[in-house]
Amino acid sequence: MRIVKQLMAIPGVVAAGEYAYRGDRFSYEGALTDEFARMASILCRANTLSVNMQSEIFDSFAENIGCRPVQGWIVRGSQITICAVGNYFAFIENRDELLNDVMTIMRAKVGDVQDDLLVNLYARLGGDTKEALY
Amino acid sequence: MNLEKMMDLPGALAAFTYSDKGDLQSHVLREGTELTPQVLDLLAHSCVANQAIASMEARGWEALTGQGGFEPLKGFSMVGLEWSVVVDGNCGVVVKNRDADYEATFNALQAG
Repeated sequence: MRIVKQLMAIPGVVAAGEYAYRGDRFSYEGALTDEFARMASILCRANTLSVNMQSEIFDSFAENIGCRPVQGWIVRGSQITICAVGNYFAFIENRDELLNDVMTIMRAKVGDVQDDLLVNLYARLGGDTKEALY
Repeated sequence: MNLEKMMDLPGALAAFTYSDKGDLQSHVLREGTELTPQVLDLLAHSCVANQAIASMEARGWEALTGQGGFEPLKGFSMVGLEWSVVVDGNCGVVVKNRDADYEATFNALQAG
């Protein structure tokens, strides 16, 4: 939760959280209810799995082009942006320089994971890394 | 959309446009990059799909939670290990993560 606290200290970060890749646990801070945070965790997990699957397809067309493992994704809304890196997410306001700051922190703290991102994160939870992820 | 102008964005490796279905229409690649038109075409297809999914999720989120500020979406980005693809509408830019200015890229795509 240290990263979540660090993110929440930045003005303009509405909410931030961490979710388990198995989808059964989550924690958060900020302007979300428990139910909204649960939904956000499921949404982020699903999208992260989806972009990881896509990156495997890219890799089959051109190996080692710098895409895998995917670190995360960003959805830019009209006033709110959702950033997801690894198994962390942040809802932030669209303020000048905030997106770059948040992405820098998130990538520095949880990004740049070598080898297979999903297996790596899954292993940290103590799950069976051979278990089907999709 | 002026792709040459997009290539002036920090860390830009490629800029491209695509149809509503995701077919690559035009592109510019930085010399020396390992990206190929074939990869850009795949990226474009995935970005169309991801934008559609994100729109669906934003609409659902707003309806379920009553929270606003998501729609209309202003873009989507997939952050890879070394580069990110940033898209909005029918145009995308691939930027090197180390040099990426996500805000400037989203703003340029929106202005374009």
